[in-house]
Amino acid sequence: MKKVININFQGRVVPIEETAFELLKQYTDSLRVYFANEEGRDEIINDIESRIGELFQERITKGSTCITDDDVNAIINNMGRPKDFADVDSDNDYVRPEASQPFSNTGTQNVFAKKLYRDANNKIFGGVCSGIAAYFGIEPIIVRLVFIFSGIGFLAYILLWAFVPSSTNLQNGVRKRLYRNPDDKLIAGVCSGIASYFNISVWVPRLLFIIPFISFFFRWGEFGPLTVPHFLSFSFSPGALIIYIILWMVIPEAKSTSEKLEMKGEKVDMNSIKNSVMEEMKDVQQRMSKMGKEARTVAAERSKTIGSELNYAARKTGRSLGDVIVFIVKAFGYFVIGCVALSLIIALFSLAVVSVGLFPLKAYLLNDGWQSAYAWGTLLFFIGIPVIGIITFIIRRIAKIKSKNNLMRWSFVALWLLGIFCFVSLLVSVSRDFKSSNTVREETVQLTAPGVNRLEVSTNSATNYYRSNRFLHFEPFANFDEDTAYVNNMRIRIVKSKNDSFNVSLIKVCNGRSRRYADTLADKMVYNINQVDSLLLLDKGIAINRQDKFRNQHVIVTIAVPVGKVINVNKKLSWRNSAHFSGPWNGQEWEWNNDWDDDEVDGWDNHYGQDLTMKTDGLYMLDGKRADKYWDNGTPRDDNEWDNDNNNNKTEIDSISGGGYRYDETQKTIDSLQIIKEKQLQKMKDSLKKVKDDIERSLEKLNNTKTPDQQAFTPPFHDRRLNFFLHI
Amino acid sequence: MNIENTASQMRKGVLEFCILSVIKLGEAYPSDIIEKMKSANLNILEGTLYPLLTRLKNAELLTYRWVESNSGPPRKYFLLTEKGASFYKELETTWEELANAVATITGENGTIQNTTSTNNKNDQ
Repeated sequence: MKKVININFQGRVVPIEETAFELLKQYTDSLRVYFANEEGRDEIINDIESRIGELFQERITKGSTCITDDDVNAIINNMGRPKDFADVDSDNDYVRPEASQPFSNTGTQNVFAKKLYRDANNKIFGGVCSGIAAYFGIEPIIVRLVFIFSGIGFLAYILLWAFVPSSTNLQNGVRKRLYRNPDDKLIAGVCSGIASYFNISVWVPRLLFIIPFISFFFRWGEFGPLTVPHFLSFSFSPGALIIYIILWMVIPEAKSTSEKLEMKGEKVDMNSIKNSVMEEMKDVQQRMSKMGKEARTVAAERSKTIGSELNYAARKTGRSLGDVIVFIVKAFGYFVIGCVALSLIIALFSLAVVSVGLFPLKAYLLNDGWQSAYAWGTLLFFIGIPVIGIITFIIRRIAKIKSKNNLMRWSFVALWLLGIFCFVSLLVSVSRDFKSSNTVREETVQLTAPGVNRLEVSTNSATNYYRSNRFLHFEPFANFDEDTAYVNNMRIRIVKSKNDSFNVSLIKVCNGRSRRYADTLADKMVYNINQVDSLLLLDKGIAINRQDKFRNQHVIVTIAVPVGKVINVNKKLSWRNSAHFSGPWNGQEWEWNNDWDDDEVDGWDNHYGQDLTMKTDGLYMLDGKRADKYWDNGTPRDDNEWDNDNNNNKTEIDSISGGGYRYDETQKTIDSLQIIKEKQLQKMKDSLKKVKDDIERSLEKLNNTKTPDQQAFTPPFHDRRLNFFLHI
Repeated sequence: MNIENTASQMRKGVLEFCILSVIKLGEAYPSDIIEKMKSANLNILEGTLYPLLTRLKNAELLTYRWVESNSGPPRKYFLLTEKGASFYKELETTWEELANAVATITGENGTIQNTTSTNNKNDQ
């Protein structure tokens, strides 16, 4: 039992079985593909169709009620299938232009060179080079060499591949497309489709997809939760699986005969790559010299034509010159667009990597329920959908897959909008959780021995520097395990003590949905400070558990050092520059600011593991240099060069600059004036000293020859004179 | 270098010449051309004929006219143009020379026609 439909076929009404109609349709499709590059394609197909229609008519007049599968098959066998034409038809270049030899018929070539296409017939990878070559009418090998030897070649090639449309109208041949092969499939026919595209055995792509799975089982132990690069790389089986699924989605199945023909297509790549490379290498030189000759003759011809046929020549050269300019502008435009797109894509992908890596931290930041759902939505839809979309686009573009899959497009857009919604909701909801901060209270820490002469600040918390596989470093999270995460939000502030013993105080800060909640959270925060003899042990981080969540908890440890005593901050605490050797040296109150980075001063942070002595005007290194003006290796900081003679004339400057990082602009100018004054004074002093030395030396010479009386007289005189100079 | 390839090259060479010579006899409908060739033991697929005709037409060697048919839409009948006629003349001379040369070289005694038809039989 079969369904019969009526079709209007070349002006005849033909009753035909539905299956027979499908056969017929596939056949005409395959013809259309076969004759795709033929000049009179439509005419040929029309002729064939009308002949088929005639044959249908014959059968019906003979008494058939309708056209059956057998009828169609018989007719098709009579007419011949494209593959049967091939042996009669191939390399019949009777009327067709021969694109592979642009020099032999430059005239014909120009007809096709009006627009830049990728040449799908004469290609190694994407046909970019041969397309450009056809555009200018030069040998493809020249363009290829330019691409190979110029630095941006690779990127430009990819961009041109993606943006320049492909064309096959330069030569005959069946286009080849990537399809999934339904006839030879294990899962979805992806591998066998790829195999027939590259004309290789089907086991090659299959093995490539399976190897990662095998290695996955052998290397199971090496994968932790944060091994994102592994996760994305092909050597990790989910990567291969994801690639397979993406390919499954983007590559259409070869359903009809014509699609199957397109799938098998002509021999495109593997062999032709090898052959053409070898061939080209062989006669590069030959071609180059030929090119040179050709160029000369072309140039000569051109100049001749300019002389004789002004009108024609003007048109011709004008066009080619204009073409070159248009081409350059176009190429440049594509390049710029491509660069912008590429950087956006890279940004998106790195965002995806980071967010996948961050995802295990979700439990420490977000509430269960809606926030968690928003986070999933953001990850999957807001970030994941564009990533998949771009990969899909690029693969489709490169493999020349065209399908009008509007459903997919719109569902992508809808899912992405959902992703935006999730992302915004997540931001709003999370920022609400960070809205308020707690009341700042300074707790004094009881020290067991506040009178020690030297205090070393250190930590006894385990460090996690030795963990392998840490490609990503998520601040402020230093480490986390199943139920606790540690944040290194800790700052050490060193100030001058008001009395003669060490004092330590602790400030806990955190955010929360409300001030009350933030206060509760601050109370829950555990941060230990213990003194063992001259050792002050601090926790390296703040423990955060899944219930209380991360709400920007941080602590500020203030260590007041009495004058004349030594402080040493251990290198163990140096991670993230958490120590802050700041503080009011001149008795002013240190202005507490929530934004630490504001009062961060360069050069303070490199004195870890160094004994620093507190003096009335600040911290000094062991060799007597000021800690704020010298690096830890003793070289002066750039902006303090003037301050390089051991504290002789320093007091007046220090009274202004020593205390502060927060002095304002006027003070800065005053400072710089002071600096200039100091410098000039120093110069004058130096030169006077030199004069003094000279005079003394000559005097001494004189003294050796003179009487003791004279000797007694002279020094007061010259001293007074010099003193006079020194006091100006 | 396989036998099928060489044989099909040979057949291909004479195909256009044969088509033109059929049409030269008078206006021809494609299926008539096929029939003529079949009767001469030169089997070609109809699907191959149409593109050839179109190419010859595009090269202005052929032209066609629409002839009303009693069963359905009008049909295309092909006929030779003047250019086509002179083209055919040239082909004919070339063919005669070639056939003579081949006959002399292969040393067969048969006529030109016989040579071609036996060749074609072997090819099928």
